[in-house]
Amino acid sequence: MFSIILTWLIVAWGALSCIYMLRCAWRRFPKRDVDDVIPFLYPVDLSLAESLLDPAAEFQFRWKLRPQQFREAQRKRMRLYLELTRRMAHNATVLVEYADAEKHSQDPHRVKLASALQEKAVEVRLYAMLTKCKLRFWLLLRSEILTFMPFLPHLRTACEIDGLQTYSDLKTAAAAAFVRLPPDELDLLTRNL
Amino acid sequence: MKIVEFIPSCLLVVLLALLVRRRVYAVLPYFFAYAAFAVGADVARFIAHGHRHPYYLTYWVTEAGYDLLGILVMYEVVRAALGSLTRAWWVRLIFPVVLVAGIGMSIARANVVPSRLSGIEFYIAVGEIAVRFVEVFVFAGLVTLVPVVGLRWRQYPFGVATGFGLYATVMLLTTIKFSDFGTTFKLLWGWTSLVAYSVAVLIWIWFFSVPQKKEIPSPELSAPSPGDLKQYKDALRRMR
Repeated sequence: MFSIILTWLIVAWGALSCIYMLRCAWRRFPKRDVDDVIPFLYPVDLSLAESLLDPAAEFQFRWKLRPQQFREAQRKRMRLYLELTRRMAHNATVLVEYADAEKHSQDPHRVKLASALQEKAVEVRLYAMLTKCKLRFWLLLRSEILTFMPFLPHLRTACEIDGLQTYSDLKTAAAAAFVRLPPDELDLLTRNL
Repeated sequence: MKIVEFIPSCLLVVLLALLVRRRVYAVLPYFFAYAAFAVGADVARFIAHGHRHPYYLTYWVTEAGYDLLGILVMYEVVRAALGSLTRAWWVRLIFPVVLVAGIGMSIARANVVPSRLSGIEFYIAVGEIAVRFVEVFVFAGLVTLVPVVGLRWRQYPFGVATGFGLYATVMLLTTIKFSDFGTTFKLLWGWTSLVAYSVAVLIWIWFFSVPQKKEIPSPELSAPSPGDLKQYKDALRRMR
């Protein structure tokens, strides 16, 4: 009985995937061009992310604060890092869509830059997805239940992807892909990313 | 034999010609081998048609070949689609886990619905259903990654997975219904299989009709101009 139900679920998953692929084929390629990138980006403060993932800062909090105070502070820090990963994931989505559209260019140089940008953006998305899952799980458990608090610096890597390093690489790839923008717009991109 | 039964074979010949033209044997050698084998198997079955014993033998030998090549193609698709995604050690475990899950599901199904086949034919049939499960797992898993991590769907491995995924989903569905309705479902099962396989081959033709851009650095690539380089350096400096 269990195997029959499981088979039906697998068939339903396959059918939904077929419908999704049909939708993708119908919509063809994303139409996001260079004008639809900069206004859609959310700024990510990487120095703030670095400080949240700094083991020294974490140990300092643990020593300085009482357990209850530390739990509260840690939850706030987790919420803050969750917001940063959300922004990273959003920016990566925007850049993936842009790179996808850019890959249909006739210029091989642009295609190469778009490929590099997309590769980094996909890595950022993967990191953000796993980190968000971990953070949501930690936040879901009430701090009173936990006898220990999660160690935030462990979030630096997920799936062997160094989140902050990869996001920094994504910024570099974006700067290379948008190098032909006017200086003021390029400046805006660097500030928004 | 009705003329419509030759439609998938004709489409396979078109696909094989397209694969040769696009030099797919260098990118996806197992899929190319699968398409060539499918054309050869159809020819062998056609020749053996009308001779009871040779046809029986040809049918089961080619079915076993389809099972083996189906697994190899899925391995190739997973490696091509996920290879560059992450360097995590467990990525190498994805395919073996999917394979074990597929075999497990097929054995579980064989226990629930007893087969009329015996001996080597039974194992080939169980293997065939296991391959269908693996194809659906790989296809649905990859499609799930498109909205989740932004994986690009318009690439050859996705096309291969989509064709197999659609066919396997329909075949699994009809197999479940076949066990529910018994032999009265046999005629519909044959037609569904024919239509689903034709659609799968059409999907492959559609995907391979567009040349895939090479993403490796080309020696013909022009270097960025000094002005571009300066602008790029300025942008990087502002980011630091």
